[in-house]
Amino acid sequence: MKTYTKIFFTLPVIFLLLVTPGCSKFLQKDLQSELTQQSFPTTAADALLATNASYEILRDWYYNSGGYPILDIMSDDARKGSNPDDQLNTVGPFDSFTFSSTQDGLDRWWNTLYVGVKRANVVIEFVPGVTMDPALRNRYVAEAKFIRGLLYFDFVRAWGGVPLVTTVNPPAHLTRATKEEVYALIFSDLQFAADNLPLRSEYTAANRGRATKGAAQALLARVYLFLKDYVNAEKYALDVINSNQYGLEPVYADANGVNGNNGIESVLEVGAIQVEGTEGGGAQYGNVQGVRGTPNRGWGFNRPSVDLRNSFETGDVRYKGTVINLGDTLDGVLIVGDGPTPDVTTDTHGNVIEVECYNRKVWVPGDNTTTQWAYHRRLIRYADVLLMASEALNENNKAGDALVYLNMVRARARGANAGVLPNITTTVKTELSDKISTERRHELGMEGWRFWDLIRTGKAGAVLGPLGFVVGKHELLPIPQSEIDISQGTLTQNPNW
Amino acid sequence: MQKSTHGFKLPGVIAGMLFLIFTGFGMSVSAQVRTITGTVTASDTKETLPGATVSLKGTALGVVTDIDGKYSIKVSQGKGVLVIAYVGYTTQEIEIGDKSLVDVMLVFKKTTLDEVVVIGYGTVRKSDLSGSVGSVKSEDIVKITALNPVQSLQGIVAGVQVTSTSGDPGSSPVVRIRGVGTFNNSSPIYVVDGIIMDDISFLNSGDITSMEVLKDASSTAIYGSRGANGVIMVTTKQGKVGQDKTAYSFTGEVGMQNLAKKIDLLNGHDFAMISNEIKPGSYNNIDAVPNTDWQKLIFHTAPIYNFQLSASGATKKMQFYISGGYFKQEGIIEKSKYERITLQLNNTYIMSPYVKLGNNITFSPYSQRVSPDVTYNAYRASPTLTPYYSNGSFASIPGIGNPLADLAYSNNFNKGVKGVGNMYAEISFLKSFTVKSSFGVDAEYNQSQNFTPAFTVYNADGTISQQQHPLSTLSKGSSEFLTWLWENTVSYKKDIQKHSINAVVGYTMQNTSSAAMGMMGSNILRDDANFWYIRPNNIYDPPNNVNNINSIYDNVDAGMNYSMISYLFRVNYVFNKKYILTGTFRSDGSSKFSESNRYANFPSFAVAWNVSQESFMKSLTAISKLKIRGSWGKLGNDKIAYNRRYAQVESGIITIFGTGTPNSGASYGLNGNPNLKWEVTTQTDLGLEVGMFNDRLTGEFDFYNKQTDEILIDLATPGYYGNGPGQKVTYNAASVLNRGFEFNLGWRDKVGKLNYHVSVNGTTIHNEVLKIGGSSGVDSVLIGGYLGNGIPVTRSKVGLPIGSFYGYQTNGIFQTQAELNAYPHTSLAGVGDLRFVDVNGDGKIDDRDRTNIGSPIPTFIFGCNFGVEFKGFDVSCNIQGQAGNKIFNAKQVVRPDPYNFEASVLNRWTGPGTSTTEPRASFGGYNYTVSDHFIQDGSFLRIRNVILGYTLPVNVCKKIAMQTIRVYVKADNLYTLTKYTGYTPEIASGDVISNGIDSGIYPITAVFSFGVNLNF
Repeated sequence: MKTYTKIFFTLPVIFLLLVTPGCSKFLQKDLQSELTQQSFPTTAADALLATNASYEILRDWYYNSGGYPILDIMSDDARKGSNPDDQLNTVGPFDSFTFSSTQDGLDRWWNTLYVGVKRANVVIEFVPGVTMDPALRNRYVAEAKFIRGLLYFDFVRAWGGVPLVTTVNPPAHLTRATKEEVYALIFSDLQFAADNLPLRSEYTAANRGRATKGAAQALLARVYLFLKDYVNAEKYALDVINSNQYGLEPVYADANGVNGNNGIESVLEVGAIQVEGTEGGGAQYGNVQGVRGTPNRGWGFNRPSVDLRNSFETGDVRYKGTVINLGDTLDGVLIVGDGPTPDVTTDTHGNVIEVECYNRKVWVPGDNTTTQWAYHRRLIRYADVLLMASEALNENNKAGDALVYLNMVRARARGANAGVLPNITTTVKTELSDKISTERRHELGMEGWRFWDLIRTGKAGAVLGPLGFVVGKHELLPIPQSEIDISQGTLTQNPNW
Repeated sequence: MQKSTHGFKLPGVIAGMLFLIFTGFGMSVSAQVRTITGTVTASDTKETLPGATVSLKGTALGVVTDIDGKYSIKVSQGKGVLVIAYVGYTTQEIEIGDKSLVDVMLVFKKTTLDEVVVIGYGTVRKSDLSGSVGSVKSEDIVKITALNPVQSLQGIVAGVQVTSTSGDPGSSPVVRIRGVGTFNNSSPIYVVDGIIMDDISFLNSGDITSMEVLKDASSTAIYGSRGANGVIMVTTKQGKVGQDKTAYSFTGEVGMQNLAKKIDLLNGHDFAMISNEIKPGSYNNIDAVPNTDWQKLIFHTAPIYNFQLSASGATKKMQFYISGGYFKQEGIIEKSKYERITLQLNNTYIMSPYVKLGNNITFSPYSQRVSPDVTYNAYRASPTLTPYYSNGSFASIPGIGNPLADLAYSNNFNKGVKGVGNMYAEISFLKSFTVKSSFGVDAEYNQSQNFTPAFTVYNADGTISQQQHPLSTLSKGSSEFLTWLWENTVSYKKDIQKHSINAVVGYTMQNTSSAAMGMMGSNILRDDANFWYIRPNNIYDPPNNVNNINSIYDNVDAGMNYSMISYLFRVNYVFNKKYILTGTFRSDGSSKFSESNRYANFPSFAVAWNVSQESFMKSLTAISKLKIRGSWGKLGNDKIAYNRRYAQVESGIITIFGTGTPNSGASYGLNGNPNLKWEVTTQTDLGLEVGMFNDRLTGEFDFYNKQTDEILIDLATPGYYGNGPGQKVTYNAASVLNRGFEFNLGWRDKVGKLNYHVSVNGTTIHNEVLKIGGSSGVDSVLIGGYLGNGIPVTRSKVGLPIGSFYGYQTNGIFQTQAELNAYPHTSLAGVGDLRFVDVNGDGKIDDRDRTNIGSPIPTFIFGCNFGVEFKGFDVSCNIQGQAGNKIFNAKQVVRPDPYNFEASVLNRWTGPGTSTTEPRASFGGYNYTVSDHFIQDGSFLRIRNVILGYTLPVNVCKKIAMQTIRVYVKADNLYTLTKYTGYTPEIASGDVISNGIDSGIYPITAVFSFGVNLNF
């Protein structure tokens, strides 16, 4: 009995003595099979992973205006599309300018852009501390700054001043920065990128799609143009042109097509592969605009408007390069279209107001529904750079130079038919300005730029007024109501919303 | 002879039976015997007592009194003492001397004060208890035929809500004690023989001796950070000291399960009629359409079996309980099944008067087959479609899929084994002290496999329908889970004159780890089970005509771990059996929180006054017991994911460069919240216990007020944190109140030879969200209850119950165009459609008019039990129910296609004045917006269980060497009174903000069973 007592009384005591000092260690459990932010990025491999991840947000479906709001649906180039009922309450209001601050999509776009900003900030903030090849390290940071600049330009264009986050862990209760503060960051980021990124030709083919010096300069030109700073816009656009890194695809359809993926005309492009789902590498941008019905390639949103269809000059190859009509045959596939969608919609007076057709720009050849997920969205094309240069030169009273670049674009649009699309010759500034504007509409139609062009040139009121656009209100989107609610009023709404 | 009565030494039941026959009952073999006879009566009723045991002290000899209370026992010549015992009466010992007639009057125990109640880390006399504890004994635990013993608490213990939400074999009910206290896991913890766990479905009800529900802070504070949602103590059976004779018991039960209730859906004719109304010309001749009753096709009658054999006993050196059980439940939907074996081994070894060793071990292998979720498909499938084409192949059901095809191609299995056990050593020293060290393990291993062959269901025109599976797929998973718990306590128990002290102090450590692996392969070489292995050479890739490792995908390999260290202390002081003081303290440290918030302290205090012990009460003879008690304390809830505080890195991000090369990426994902800390529940309880008329009437009343603060909830963060759309981060940022009143009233008496008892219990629940978000710069509402179409139907807001339904209020139907024009409406509304209320009065109907349209939490839950015993027959009945809660009938809402309707559509609006509640028929759209039109009353009253039993007369049993034989028939879920149109009004979810939403469930069943119980 005594032995038992000794053993069983002493054992727990011994264990207690052994165990107690180890308590704090016993309660320290590390996360299993997952990296935590304390330990990333710390190696050269981490730095590459973090940089790659920054690009991914550009392929995210919500990066494209949160899904639906802008695209071209808010311009005179496109209607909601799909069949009349599909997403009537979510996309429809952007077609008719009846959306409000609670509209589905706005919050997703806002949130997604900040995800991208955060990923870029991870690189900008932490990669400089990683021990690795300094040149490569510098490139990574420059790539991230390029992306951050791109994202903030999306922000400032859509909403004006927004909370300016330049660190991975921003403080709570941030207020909106001024527009000027946002632009200051954009210029500083893009200038750093332009100064530190390699030329397109300096990347291997496998790395095409990464930010380049040319992309940074082209984006700077776009930002300056938006601010009507034509001197700088001209400078940066010409820098790109004079770098001799880019050219026009001989065939217009290839400028957005598979054959031109990361090709000569591509200044900034978002790669994708034929996989259903963003996680696996697909891009839903092409899927939601794909032909609806037969062949079943997507949902058929963002439908070219009757106005756009009718605006092309005779013989312009870009009409077929922009619009897929029912009955067309593309890459051997007959376009039949969607049953529930009317082929032609007329108003009460019998005027045609909508024709079932689809966006040719996103077409990807293939044989199944997943095909469209492989569409590489072009964020900057060389043709755009030429037209930006042309526009800036004209504004800077260099009409002669402006015509050179404008007519380069027109020349390709003629295709094999030399008898159409004559060269523009006018040097009258306002006339040329209108011609360039029209040329942009035809060259870049359905690629998502028309709405911004109308805003920056001040034509939105005149052109979009009949569609519901209110001057003084619709130049900016409303700050998503959910963000104002979460901020408990710290974020203020844009005027007239 | 005494020494040879250690029956357990003989192996096997048969041997035991034989042994009994020769020793226990075979007295005629002895030479010098005489017969003692007599009658046993009760002091309180003066009636005779049938079923009382009369035994000869120190021997295994024993008989039971007959129906008239008479007994006859043969004893050896010489001195001896008769021991006469009956439950509820004081056991008497009588010297036989040379008497041959011994009549005995047993004294009714005035109170049940000496009942011992299991509480955490000890036991306490019920009279010394200052907290609120509900107790259920083994006889009530076995009443319900169910996999999970916790179902026996339903309608029995006040304050406990057990919702059996599904009839799927193997499914566990949702358990809530005193309301819903948090937005996180609100389930109680279970303590099985000292081991803390989350589920007891591995236990056989027959192995349990008692379940105690610890409800108030005083009783649960000893479990500190885990006590906030209540604690259910489960004690398994043990041989009793002094029970020299091994007791064997066998219970066998066989039942049939049926669909308790069919949903009233349209038949083919009516569906065609309505379809023609919505879309004229849909059916040419509505009298000639098929009429398929899909419910009838998927539901069948299915058996349920439960067998258990046990032996228990004790010697001077040890007590033992050993049992084996088998449970099998087939589902009323084909291809669902649950099978479980339970082995229980409980031993106590008495090494010396001061040293005890013991073990409680449960080993429970199980296997389950899960049927695909076809009830919702059967609910929606058009009755005008037939299940098969004339050639016998499956017909396509557009937009839904043929539920019979889903069933036919389903092969979803999982199996595993759960082992729970502990070993302990207990040493007494200095008379009043006991040291106990217990080491317990809770381990589970599970393996799952799900194989779907390649199949295609064709449309009538021969084209391929959406219901197809082009390549066979096989997914397999395995998971393992291990918790070890080491508990060391020192307890002190001493009575010094009028002072009685009972104290315990302890130190515990716990570690939990688990890991899971899973993978999926497609294009398996053969369909049969012999090839259900994912290995490259079993996978065939036709396009390349090679075996292809790329056909193996979706790999999962995850692990988690957490640990806990606790210090605990409790003292219970009683003065003169009148005044009771209890103080409890527990300090818990958990790895789930960062270092600064790791430890938290949970104190509680309680006082009680046994008023009936006061001298001034002695004259009030009607009152046999009166106790007033009150308690206060703080508790925690640690049932949160182990990784919430970490800021994670999102890896596996793919970026495409070049002509299409995936490049790996990784970046910061969701922010973590390193400042997370424990949720804190503060509970106050005031109780009153009464016994009157010799405790024939007993009552227990409790008022509780339970407020949980610092609740961990996932809130939307500002967009600029970069967490992404719809992403949420955990904060300590909500408060919830549960307040209510509990009562339990019982009456037990007898009329002549008829014993009867009645008891009722009820609980009121006031559940209210007090705070969400606060000043943390985040959201102030919590949205949940997402339907299949992504639309949420609950919104938890300050001032409302958790998970309140949110949508439009309706106030009638637009009868005319003029009415429509005059009333705010959306562009989608037409004549015959629902009128939504313009709640904010801005003259238009939009999202901002959505409002609270009901709570899923009942305001009153109740149970009623009664039993009658008469001449060997016993009848018992359990009724339970709830009131005040609403159900959202989500089955009706999500319908983009022409699905079948519930019969209520027959009362639809067809013209002015035809209906003010049912809108015109439509296949989808406006009228299916989330509104109170789909809210139904969830109140119900259910006859949960009726049992009719018959115990064979003792002399009959004796002839076949049995002690008692009882046969019984019973019905579970016999009848439910409710207005709800679904299968069952018991709709609950483990997710408290998605509660009360009926999206199509596996229906619960009515079970009719027959059983036999043998003791020998």
